[in-house]
Amino acid sequence: MDTFLQQVINGLTLGSFYALVALGYTMVYGIIRLINFAHGDLFMVGAFAGLSLLSSLGGLAGKMSPFVIIPLVFIVPMATVGLMGAVIERLAYRPLRRAPRLSPLITAIGVSLALEIAVELLTKAQYQLFPSVLPSTVWSIGNVVISAAQVLIVPVTLALMAALYLFVQRTMLGKAMRAIAIDQDTAQMMGINVDSLISLTFFVGGALAAAAGVMFGTYYGSINFDMGFLLGLKAFTAAVLGGIGNIPGAMLGGYLLGLLETFAAGYISGEWKDVFAFLILIGVLTLRPTGILGEHVVEKI
Amino acid sequence: MKATIRHSLVAALGIVALTFAVAPVAAHATVPKAGTIKLGYFGPLTGSNAVEGIDMENAAKLAIDNWNKKGGVLGDQITLDAQDSPCVAAVAVQAAQKLVTDGVVGVVGPYCSSDAIPASVIYHRAGIPFITGASTNPKLTEQGFDDVFRTVGRDDEQGVFAASIMAGWHAKRIAIVHDNTTYAHGLATQTQVALAKHPGMKVVFFDAIVPGSRDFTAILTRIRSVKPDVTYFTGYVADGGLFVKQFVSLGVPGRIMAGDANNGAEFISLAGKASEKAFITGALLPQMVPSAAGFVKQFTAKYHLAPGPYSGYTYDAMDILLYAIQKTGSTNGATLVRFLKGLKNYPGVTGPITFTSTGDRKQIQYTLLTVRHGQFVRAM
Repeated sequence: MDTFLQQVINGLTLGSFYALVALGYTMVYGIIRLINFAHGDLFMVGAFAGLSLLSSLGGLAGKMSPFVIIPLVFIVPMATVGLMGAVIERLAYRPLRRAPRLSPLITAIGVSLALEIAVELLTKAQYQLFPSVLPSTVWSIGNVVISAAQVLIVPVTLALMAALYLFVQRTMLGKAMRAIAIDQDTAQMMGINVDSLISLTFFVGGALAAAAGVMFGTYYGSINFDMGFLLGLKAFTAAVLGGIGNIPGAMLGGYLLGLLETFAAGYISGEWKDVFAFLILIGVLTLRPTGILGEHVVEKI
Repeated sequence: MKATIRHSLVAALGIVALTFAVAPVAAHATVPKAGTIKLGYFGPLTGSNAVEGIDMENAAKLAIDNWNKKGGVLGDQITLDAQDSPCVAAVAVQAAQKLVTDGVVGVVGPYCSSDAIPASVIYHRAGIPFITGASTNPKLTEQGFDDVFRTVGRDDEQGVFAASIMAGWHAKRIAIVHDNTTYAHGLATQTQVALAKHPGMKVVFFDAIVPGSRDFTAILTRIRSVKPDVTYFTGYVADGGLFVKQFVSLGVPGRIMAGDANNGAEFISLAGKASEKAFITGALLPQMVPSAAGFVKQFTAKYHLAPGPYSGYTYDAMDILLYAIQKTGSTNGATLVRFLKGLKNYPGVTGPITFTSTGDRKQIQYTLLTVRHGQFVRAM
């Protein structure tokens, strides 16, 4: 039983990263029907932004109170990478908004590669150590172990997701975003500033990815240039699993995939975990092609 | 624009583009300058093992510098041709091919056995002697190539050593974790084979992690539930450091041991405090070997870095190659190979070097290391 609970905690922690990154994929797909392949790399850049911040603060970081340094190490990368996401949209995707569907897709792949290779060259492809801003205390309840980082990750992720959900459902801006997702042209005719709201979507997606990146760096302690690739791919499949274009779906999909992968590694085999996780994904989609909560049809690429 | 003109323009542009694409490559295929002898090094200069790769390149350069100070070899100055081989087999083969085309007379390196084995085929076909200072998989010297040597030990020896350590701890239940690379899988299997010779010791867990996945909590939780006395991680340091850190924080029972790819400073930085609970099998670090004292001093003075675990072996590999060239008066591959095979107790910085008939090194001494105050120390 202890093992099972431990695996649940492991899975929820991993799932938090997938969920946050999946949200970016699903929001962008929902609003402009683009699968932003570069999104996983914004997660990676967010982690590096956090690292740069901590490195430039240097010794100062150790002397600051955790109540100052922790919000700072979130807010600055989130703002920076959010902005980066919006800029990428403006430069790479907006000119292609009326182009055939394949063009922005290829551009997205190009952006992804550009980001990865840039960081690879800057870091000589070596992994970088991410300093820990959290105490390394662990608590054990019986045989189940929870670390301080895990105690932070899941609640922060849930809080961010709740904030996003409230924003999209309860605010005017959120309503406008949903309107654009339903029918872009009509929304424009209703006086909604489509361009700004799409930029905002990218900003929010990027910010969430950066938050995931910073937490990932803190939790595992090492980051490198290609950490965004596989995680982005899995987050994307998590978004599809939950129903692409559906925000609660992305949250659900992310946690589900995290738990699936952890149970596969924990109960079946460490080296086959990805195979099993994806087999289950294929199974779910075969039975329910729109994903668990989805209404949009999955576009064939 | 008329079709024919447009097509010719496109063709012309294509030719120009192709020329620009090929020219840099052609320029780089350098022929050794008259009056110089070129030696080759390939290893991970980028990627997760770059720290080791650059360390080994530095050692090779140091050996060359020392010879050049004495007047070079056969009256010629020696130059080093270094190629990146970041533990990706396809790139290793390209690097090997490049070295051959550049006209090197001998090669040292690389780090990963998964690079060394495919590259050795290239060197063998070109008749160039190849000495590795870090690749430990037994298959490298079992291919029947007489021009492959190594100054390090083999993983079947390391596996036997690891098993004997576990036996010394009276461990009964052993968990082995690898990462499916040639080296790690090899070491894991060799350890399992060696453990089979100890009755009463059982391998209760044998599985692999996915390298680079960073999250080993799931597999460690499973290991925790089978209650091993010793867990042996045979993968590379980028994963090893995190594996050990998570092992300790999850409270997995028993001891944690890691293979010799984890004997570098990166292990200590990644694992943090948890590194003090770990034991690492491997050969002695240069700082622990009396014959390497001069080398350690020279290396530190020149590079302002402590020499890494494979620097001594790579230094010896390069040194012994140059010695062979000097003594035989030739750069012919077959001559050098014959000389190296017949060499007895060459005084290397890592100790006296004699090669076996398969090109392995006789009498490698393995040891167990652990960490105290952020430094590796001997545990036995």
